[in-house]
Amino acid sequence: MRGNELDLYKQFVKTIFKMRYRGSILGFLWVLLKPFFMFLILFSIFSHFAGAAGNLTPKQYAVYLLSGLIIYTFFNEGITWGMNSIMERAGLMIKINFKREIVVISALTMALINFGINFLIISIIALILGISITTLGVGYIFLICFTMFLAMYGISFFTSIWLVYVRDLTHISELVLQLMFYASAVFFPITAIPQRYQFIVKYNPIAIYIQAVRDALILGEVNHWKFVLLSLIISVILVIVGRLYFNKKIVKIAEHF
Amino acid sequence: MEEYAISVKNVSKTFKIPLNGHANTLQERFINPFRKKEFREFQALRDLSFDIRKGEFFSVIGSNGTGKSTLLKIVSGIYVPDQGAVKINGKLVPFLELGVGFNPELTAKENVYLNGTILGLTKAELNEYIDEIFHFAELKDFANVPTKNFSSGMAVRLAFSIAIKVKSDILVLDEVLAVGDGEFQKKCYEYFDNMKGKKSILYVSHALNSVNKYSDRVLWLKEDRSYEIGSPKEIVDRYSKTF
Repeated sequence: MRGNELDLYKQFVKTIFKMRYRGSILGFLWVLLKPFFMFLILFSIFSHFAGAAGNLTPKQYAVYLLSGLIIYTFFNEGITWGMNSIMERAGLMIKINFKREIVVISALTMALINFGINFLIISIIALILGISITTLGVGYIFLICFTMFLAMYGISFFTSIWLVYVRDLTHISELVLQLMFYASAVFFPITAIPQRYQFIVKYNPIAIYIQAVRDALILGEVNHWKFVLLSLIISVILVIVGRLYFNKKIVKIAEHF
Repeated sequence: MEEYAISVKNVSKTFKIPLNGHANTLQERFINPFRKKEFREFQALRDLSFDIRKGEFFSVIGSNGTGKSTLLKIVSGIYVPDQGAVKINGKLVPFLELGVGFNPELTAKENVYLNGTILGLTKAELNEYIDEIFHFAELKDFANVPTKNFSSGMAVRLAFSIAIKVKSDILVLDEVLAVGDGEFQKKCYEYFDNMKGKKSILYVSHALNSVNKYSDRVLWLKEDRSYEIGSPKEIVDRYSKTF
């Protein structure tokens, strides 16, 4: 036991964070500015399609759209960064032994930080647009994100190892994530999809999370809670099983880089 | 029973090297789903056993490809042996390369914290040592300069200054002295002199002079996977005659 694992974890997260904005004039301001302007662009384009989302006002539609987007982004970054975490640190891992798990949790933490920033900005936008955010709604959103975080952490225990053996996973995951994006109905309401394909969105966990977050943020309602609780339990199991698999496989990984 | 720092017992290690390019792609499996993958087996170590006593300076020599680096990686816990076992008695810190994890975009100070924690130091310890590290490296005025603007000598000096702050009983050193100028090497050897008898050192080098001067015993790994252990003078002499 090295006793400095928490420090190492913080160092890794800090380094990833610093590297992203190093050299730019505005530096850390970009953390807030970039998503803000991204949202502004999307909002100005898609607010014209507000009618398509059923009975939402244009202002509600803006928040509807952006909240879907940040949940998908969280999923996309968590899965991608988690999967790449081991390969990215290959150079380090063949030189020194440290707790390998730390690189996986660091990558996931980065996705969580990004989500936190995005959520903060969206909350501010929602408040400006006159949507009343409830404590219950925000609490429920945090629970959903915690569930997603655990699920992605569990998945990354597998994918980070698999990527070392099958490099094609990079391309496969890009395609799957692209597919998930359209199957999650981020930009369009589920009613815009032909009846016989609607089941795809109905049974897609990401789409359900997005729906639950939207209802919680805009209406302050707690919907799909049974699904969220069930997935929380499954995620915990996934983390436990994933960790066992990871610890078993990781000892031999350095030979396969 | 003798007190040992590192005990290597009957260790063998074989690597499988795929014959047809990279095995880690699906392309290979799509094209030839039924063909068994062909590997060339490369045995790096065969039935190697030795003990390093506490406080001993133990060197490993041998030509390229005789398994020196593999041995260090097994002892450092980066590779696992196919057969046999390695036992470590005490805290072992490997220096297979100086400045592992150095990020050229980060400043010297940031890299001290990054590299230091990777080597096992806590943040609190680094806060305490940071001035001494820069003092020893003679880089006080460069603390906030990105290491990409450092000469390789400066980077090595910084890395070495961090490395010697890591508390350890056993050091594993792979050619770390091959880099750096004469003055830096002198500093390293002074450090070795100080450490002699206090820490157990496993040292791999092609610099036979330093092997001869500092080692208590020398392990010679040969191309036919046999090996010899003996006094530095005897082994280095015989090894020198092979080329």
